[in-house]
Amino acid sequence: MLELKDVHTYYGNIHALKGISLTVNDGEIVTLIGSNGAGKSTTLRTIQGLNKPRTGSVVLDGIELHKLPAHEVATLGVAQSPEGRMIFPRMTVMENLEMGAYARKDITSFKDDLEHVLTLFPRLRERITQKGGTLSGGEQQMLAMGRALMAKPKILLLDEPSMGLAPLLVELIFDIIKKLNEDGTTILLVEQNALMALSIAHRGYVLQTGEIVLADDAKKLMKNEEVQKTYLGVE
Amino acid sequence: MKNIRSGITFGIIGGLLTFLFGGWSVTVIGCLMGVGLGMGMAGRFERKDPLKIALAVLPSALTAAVLLVGLSLYQNNFVQEAIGKRPAAENTVLYGNLIGFLGTVLFTTLLAALRGLPEKQEQTARMILLAALIVAFPFVDKLTALRWTAQIIFALIFVILGLGLNIVVGYAGLLDLGYAAFFAIGAYTTGILSSPQHGIFMNFWLVIWIAAAMAALWGFMLGAPTLPLRGDYLAIVTLGFGEIVPVLFRNLIDVTIKEPFTCWILPGLIRLFGAETTMACITFVEHEDLTAGEKGISPIGRPVIPFINYEFQSSNPIPWYFLIIMIILLSVFIIRRLRDSRLGRAWMAIREDELAAAQMGINPVTTKLAAFAMGATFSGFAGAFYAAYIAGIFPSVFDFSASIIILCVVILGGIGNINGVIVGGLVIMTADRLFLPALKDFLSSLLTHTVLPSISDPVVQRAVSDNANPILYRFLFFGLTLVIMMAVRPEGLIPNAQVRAELHSNETPPIEDETPKSKKAKKG
Repeated sequence: MLELKDVHTYYGNIHALKGISLTVNDGEIVTLIGSNGAGKSTTLRTIQGLNKPRTGSVVLDGIELHKLPAHEVATLGVAQSPEGRMIFPRMTVMENLEMGAYARKDITSFKDDLEHVLTLFPRLRERITQKGGTLSGGEQQMLAMGRALMAKPKILLLDEPSMGLAPLLVELIFDIIKKLNEDGTTILLVEQNALMALSIAHRGYVLQTGEIVLADDAKKLMKNEEVQKTYLGVE
Repeated sequence: MKNIRSGITFGIIGGLLTFLFGGWSVTVIGCLMGVGLGMGMAGRFERKDPLKIALAVLPSALTAAVLLVGLSLYQNNFVQEAIGKRPAAENTVLYGNLIGFLGTVLFTTLLAALRGLPEKQEQTARMILLAALIVAFPFVDKLTALRWTAQIIFALIFVILGLGLNIVVGYAGLLDLGYAAFFAIGAYTTGILSSPQHGIFMNFWLVIWIAAAMAALWGFMLGAPTLPLRGDYLAIVTLGFGEIVPVLFRNLIDVTIKEPFTCWILPGLIRLFGAETTMACITFVEHEDLTAGEKGISPIGRPVIPFINYEFQSSNPIPWYFLIIMIILLSVFIIRRLRDSRLGRAWMAIREDELAAAQMGINPVTTKLAAFAMGATFSGFAGAFYAAYIAGIFPSVFDFSASIIILCVVILGGIGNINGVIVGGLVIMTADRLFLPALKDFLSSLLTHTVLPSISDPVVQRAVSDNANPILYRFLFFGLTLVIMMAVRPEGLIPNAQVRAELHSNETPPIEDETPKSKKAKKG
């Protein structure tokens, strides 16, 4: 469904992605793991059109995303829960969720989707009239995910959903990601917490300084010596 | 106690204002003060019995009224003499103060008591009351010979300008430092299309729409190349545009427009091949004085009401007053609809976080462009009205200071809040147009009768009387107001709820992240 072919992305002169090729099939959870600065977030930004690849292609169901600006990519069913959450701080939780559905052409099922998101994240229902900026970190993460879900995306890009959260909250978030996938959402998950990510993903890619060094089934990656040593902390 | 304190503050300010204006002003000031005091205090009460609220605010209403009338009588009996003016006629003093007293008490209690009604009814009742006051104002003003209406109209022009700029700065979060340029474009469009300058006399009701369209068009033309810029860079570009436009109007006094193909391209090609040509060159305009430069365009056609053929006169401000009130009502209606529309929501998302907005599927460039063009449209209305009202336009009116005053209106009133901007415009421009000139008169007569005669050196005497002119310091006052506002109440007089939440978020700390109990986590 989503296919990146030999993508090179630059920040000015800095060569951030050096020929990334990956695929995400319908109904999968695919995870990108790697250390800081490996290019994980840049990959997601490139898919979303926030950074343009200098060469290479990003194709979603036959549509060439790399030729489109970010706001048009959003209308094609790509939604991201971005790094650092990027919620609208002065809008209420409800308004933030409404913004998530901004690009959708069919709004008939808006109420059902809202109900679905609020059932997934009951905390958001309690805070529905509160300003986004006054939420705690975990609640903001839930809001960012909920907002992305309101777009009813074909593919959901999650950037570090566990960042800065208490361990129990991380577990909760990963449970929800798994549930979303079981309900039929395709997910591309970027994570530093490699163990958690690999435990729920079907397949995984390991990124190192802008290049993919390993690609395999998640279970096999977990057993890979190199991965265990570098990312899972197994001696 | 808080209410009594408000009463004392209002009473003293109102009373001191009668020092400047004298005569019947105590009546008008009393009524307006009552409205302000009543609305200000209403928010402090729970929704309950209106009668109880009325009784609760009565002491502060009486305090304010007594202070007002006391100061006004003192003014008439002592101050007038001290500044060398005759006291007002006995009837003026008696009825003026009586009505002023009653007006203060009545309006304060009435507007506060409305709080006791259910919310819908309260709003309707308040609207009706304010509408009645707005309609009554120019007639009362005429009866009492205060001549304030003509100045209030200027304030109302700046209210429209503030409302337009509020779309750009308040809703879309784009800092525009050259907004007066669009005001100038609206005014000059009107000037060119309905004055003897070009012998074109178009109907005002048509011109005002053309002016708005021209301003919007230029908003679009400025916005298209510059809006990919962000924050400070955009502000600098708008600053430049604001400087260029008045200079342009100053210098468009010898305009020649030739058709490029027949005048340059074709003859050029022919010469390139070595042939000579004396081809006729199509010239659209030759040596045309478009804007009359520094002299300005004047006179400019006035609106005529069709069917009854009534032409607006500069000697009678009342029709102008109602015309601009109608333009404001229309603007507020349109701006409210815009704010609550899909576009309005997109503006706010852009203001909050442009990248996140793009991720939601909002096109940042077209959305910002729409804000720029819509904002400019309203200044086009204001410009057309201004040109017709003054019946003449001069480039110096539209310089940088005008842009800054409009920005002050928005900031003082409350960024992003329609009611706030209306109050901001009224406060700043009445201070500028009514208060400062009156203060100047008061100070100069006070000085001539007190300090000046005792100064023997004529040079010093001259220096004192020349510098005691507060109008000279108007920009100092604007600046001080801005500094004080930013320090004390950065969200403006009547703030937008979102802005207030952000600026005072440290006062109501965010809810702490509770570590979810293990039971809860397992459930999820």
